[in-house]
Amino acid sequence: MTSLSQPAGTPAVPSPIGPEQDPGASASPGHDGHGSGHGHNAHGAHADHTMTGFVIFLASESLIFLALFVGYAVFKSSSPLWLPAGVEGLEVREPLINTVVLVSSSLVIWLAERALHRQRLGEFRAWWLLTMAMGTYFVVGQAIEWQHLPFGLASGVFGASFYLLTGFHGLHVVTGLALMALFLVRSLRPGLVLPEGKGVIAVSLFWHFVDVIWVVLFVLTYVWQRR
Amino acid sequence: MASSSSSSPSFDPRMIKEPQPLPGSPGSWRRYFSFNTDAKVIGIQYIAVALLFLLVGGLLAMIMRGELITPPADLVDPTVYNGLYTMHGTVMLFLFLFPVLNGFNNLLIPPMIGAPDMAFPRLNALAFWLFPVFGVILMASFLVPGGPSGSGWWAYPPLSTQNPLGHALNGQLLWILAVAVSGVSSIMGAVNFCTTIIRMRAPGMGLFKMPIFCWTALAAQLIQLMGLPVLTAGAVMLLFDLSFGTSFFKPEGGGDPMLYQHFFWFYSHPAVYVMVLPIFGVFSELFPVYARKPLFGYHVVAIASFAITGLSLIVWVHHMFYSGTPQWMRNVFMVTTMLIAVPTGIKVFAWIATLWRGSIRLSTPMLFCLAGLFNFIFAGITGVMLATVPVDIHVGNTYFVVGHFHYVIFNMITFGVFAAIYHWFPKFTGRMYYEGLGKLHFILTFIGSTLNFLPMHWAGLMGMPRRVASYDPEFASANVLASLGAFLLGVATIPFLLNIVSSWVRGPKAPPNPWNAIGLEWLLPSPPAAENFAEDVPTVISGPYGYGLGQPLVEDQERFERRAAGLKP
Amino acid sequence: MTSTGRRQPSASPNLVLVAAGLGLDALASWTMAQQSYHWLPVQASTAAPYVDNLFALETGIGTFILLGCSAVIAWTLLFNRAPKYDLDDGDPIEGNLTLEIIWTIIPLLVVLAIAWHTIGINHTLATLGGKQRLATAAPVATAALPIATGSPPSAADSAELGPIQVIARQWSWEFIYPNGVRSSELHLPVDRQIHFRLISMDVLHGFYIPAFRLKQDLIPGSVIDYRLTPSRQGRYRLRDSMFSGGYFATNQTDVVVESGADFAAWLAAAERAPLRPSFNEANDLWQQRLAKRNRGWATVPPAPPPEVNVSLDPKNTHEA
Ligand code: HEM
Ligand SMILES: [Cu+2]
Repeated sequence: MTSLSQPAGTPAVPSPIGPEQDPGASASPGHDGHGSGHGHNAHGAHADHTMTGFVIFLASESLIFLALFVGYAVFKSSSPLWLPAGVEGLEVREPLINTVVLVSSSLVIWLAERALHRQRLGEFRAWWLLTMAMGTYFVVGQAIEWQHLPFGLASGVFGASFYLLTGFHGLHVVTGLALMALFLVRSLRPGLVLPEGKGVIAVSLFWHFVDVIWVVLFVLTYVWQRR
Repeated sequence: MASSSSSSPSFDPRMIKEPQPLPGSPGSWRRYFSFNTDAKVIGIQYIAVALLFLLVGGLLAMIMRGELITPPADLVDPTVYNGLYTMHGTVMLFLFLFPVLNGFNNLLIPPMIGAPDMAFPRLNALAFWLFPVFGVILMASFLVPGGPSGSGWWAYPPLSTQNPLGHALNGQLLWILAVAVSGVSSIMGAVNFCTTIIRMRAPGMGLFKMPIFCWTALAAQLIQLMGLPVLTAGAVMLLFDLSFGTSFFKPEGGGDPMLYQHFFWFYSHPAVYVMVLPIFGVFSELFPVYARKPLFGYHVVAIASFAITGLSLIVWVHHMFYSGTPQWMRNVFMVTTMLIAVPTGIKVFAWIATLWRGSIRLSTPMLFCLAGLFNFIFAGITGVMLATVPVDIHVGNTYFVVGHFHYVIFNMITFGVFAAIYHWFPKFTGRMYYEGLGKLHFILTFIGSTLNFLPMHWAGLMGMPRRVASYDPEFASANVLASLGAFLLGVATIPFLLNIVSSWVRGPKAPPNPWNAIGLEWLLPSPPAAENFAEDVPTVISGPYGYGLGQPLVEDQERFERRAAGLKP
Repeated sequence: MTSTGRRQPSASPNLVLVAAGLGLDALASWTMAQQSYHWLPVQASTAAPYVDNLFALETGIGTFILLGCSAVIAWTLLFNRAPKYDLDDGDPIEGNLTLEIIWTIIPLLVVLAIAWHTIGINHTLATLGGKQRLATAAPVATAALPIATGSPPSAADSAELGPIQVIARQWSWEFIYPNGVRSSELHLPVDRQIHFRLISMDVLHGFYIPAFRLKQDLIPGSVIDYRLTPSRQGRYRLRDSMFSGGYFATNQTDVVVESGADFAAWLAAAERAPLRPSFNEANDLWQQRLAKRNRGWATVPPAPPPEVNVSLDPKNTHEA
């Protein structure tokens, strides 16, 4: 999503007429109840487009996970071979702690968002950093778990599905962390992260999304172990 | 409107969004080779590259038909034939049809709804530039050892994961990568088109004042958003099976080859509606113009698009009737498949009723639409035949299916593409095309395509499997006819290309509204300026097909008409 | 919107004409339905008449719709054409609710009726038995295969022959009869239900006999029970219908349906014949390709020809 990385408020659709030029020329108002406005008329409109586009994108992205989940469930309930020889199941304790950390980070990022809304930039950075720390804890925990598992990607359909699911989710967590880092750096340069900035809201939405996916994933792979 | 192109060092898209110079004027062609963010430039880029790949795919098809003109496999090695037909299907779907339709989305959606551009112009340009990328990836697979993928456009495992030569870099891998990149590009496009249609309509243009093309585009892009992720999941698993030793679809590791088929068809059935819906849109736009009548039953036609979207997501198992699907599932999916004929039928009847008591003009776009409509009725009927399980058990995976879907994809969808190209050619190039060459193109195409695809049904009924490089002699007559038709289609592209190129270079200048059509795009000059209406967007006050009703489409219509014609307001 | 004038109401067909048209349409459709039987191979299994009748029904209905629609389109092209240089609009009819409801309801009823009828046929045919999944690509094809979970043979099935194992490879067919005879062309007694066990040793294949109007995919890792009843003596073609790579097109053989006595005699003679490699076109082509410096695109090499008591003979000609 390239449009995310641009400073909030910059028009995604550039106008050949600069904003300083006669705004009165836009005779046709953008908001009349039916079709909504063009970015040219109201500057906030583009950020709205970005949110619309981003929500559409997330909805679509969630379907990849849905497909992978369905695949996992089908394999699990119908495959003649499931756990590789010598594997009893998955250890739950560490992943459970991981889960708690990740899910609570959703609350923390909400606090960050609220701080930004109240224009408390310092507080925003603190919560934002804490979210990143919790996300990092999760990723590292996941990596350690992977290292100690007695099966690999090629260990039958169980191994393949497990690594694909957790790996694909992990990729999203890392993406979320990268986006947060980006906005953290931006917040150091005044004026780039604005309280009404949709970028932060979008990242936070993405983070909630990643969390919800994890909860489903966790239930599917760790909780539902019996065949 | 002009802005100097030397101002700021940072990226400023304004630099490359100058108003469209007339073709022929210096520097006009160059923007077609640049990272331009203007939807109209991108639209033409899409269409031009897609037509290039239509020629590539057509060339592959003609080699195939050359092989099939005699029963034995004597022209090329059977493995080469397999690669050719795989690439033919893939090129035609992923490098011709999807891109050409995205081209029309780009050209038509913003002007039709009065938006200056897409919601995310840079994302739009990026989505386009991925197209040459995956085009090159796919074409590169001709060059790798072992040749391109030869497992069909379905790429069913375990065949597709056999990797006979054992190389890490192989045609199948490139095939999967190309399809995946194409999926990413399509998702970008879909996000963009949906956002644009939802948020950027002109004042007064409620959903039910929107042209049907935008309805169908929205319905089609919704399918992309829902289906592509599932294909992606399947493709990733296939890639892992091929390259990283997993066994999602390999029975040895407990995997299930059938699951891939579900993933694949969950997307690829709806994908056929991604292709056909925009052409439903084109028909709905063109019949009113050339019959000089309002579209019959506009509301129902609009809503039927979404009924089709919904139903298209729950019929995919009709591609798997013969692959061990349990009886109850066959019955359920047979019923859902047959139901899709109902909203489709509604549209067909609405178009026919639009012709009724019209004042019909048989210019080239109309000829393509009429023939396309006729072919589509035929294809819908063979579709319903395929939906009934016992008939499908017999003709599934035979040439009957090849005939069915070519009747839709070529004889209707591609006809619609040609119709759209001719119809909107003056608007976006500023030049008129030559009617005589257009009619010649139509006649050759109609004869060629009928000759090519009609006999296939018979071959299939008699039991000729699809995808064969050689066949029993009893099928020879049907295949000779089909091959002749294919070569005729090759000839038919000559007047087409001649027409497009020569008209664009030196055709007569087009007025803003040569067809006397209704629609926001016809209130713009030909070709429209870079930002369409820019700040001065008309307010829509009546429905999109008011032929003969005598109501203006927008407030102040005359002013817009005069402006489009370059007259003083 | 420059045109203002409206044309005189154009010619409309009167009721008699419509009735005559519908009658002609119905007649033509009936003729086409009768004709459709000739587009299909001979009927050589008990399933074939069901398929052909359904196809004829659909051909009839389809012709009726296609001709009906085409007639209306043709009418408009004949009588509603704009004269040259005439820029007038047509009648500004925007819709007609009654008509729209009619052409929603009637097609709905028609397709539901066809679907209902077809579900009945599906129920009657019921060729597909159980499917058993194994965690291997290539189940060893011996009589010692696990008993599949299909319907247990009932009293009515006691006359059933089987199971005959159908083994597909890239690119050969092999049939193993209950007494252990192996062949690469399929022999079946007429008018007796046959129980097949479909096994693929490598990739997907399709067991397709056009004269029987039946096909079923063979899925690696699964053993599929399948039943059919041949109903007409003759030599027919069995074709691999699910694309299986390289020499897919050659993966065809013959099905010989013969009288019970002939079949028994054939089986007894086959039992005495020694095992020898079957004729196999894929292998012949592969050898030719190797002789020509292996030019062509990648393919797995063909599996060795199966060792059979009775081989397929390419010189035979088939009926369908
Ligand atoms: C009334 C509407 C339609 C019905 C009931 C219908 C039904 C079917 C059925 C049952 C099949 C599966 C045949 C088989 O593989 O054994 C099929 C195949 C196909 N149909 Fe249609 N169809 C309809 C319209 C369309 C349209 C509008 C398109 C394209 C835009 C289309 C494109 C295809 C394609 C591409 C295939 C074959 C895919 C392949 O096997 O490679 N069909 N259709
Ligand atoms: Cu389909």
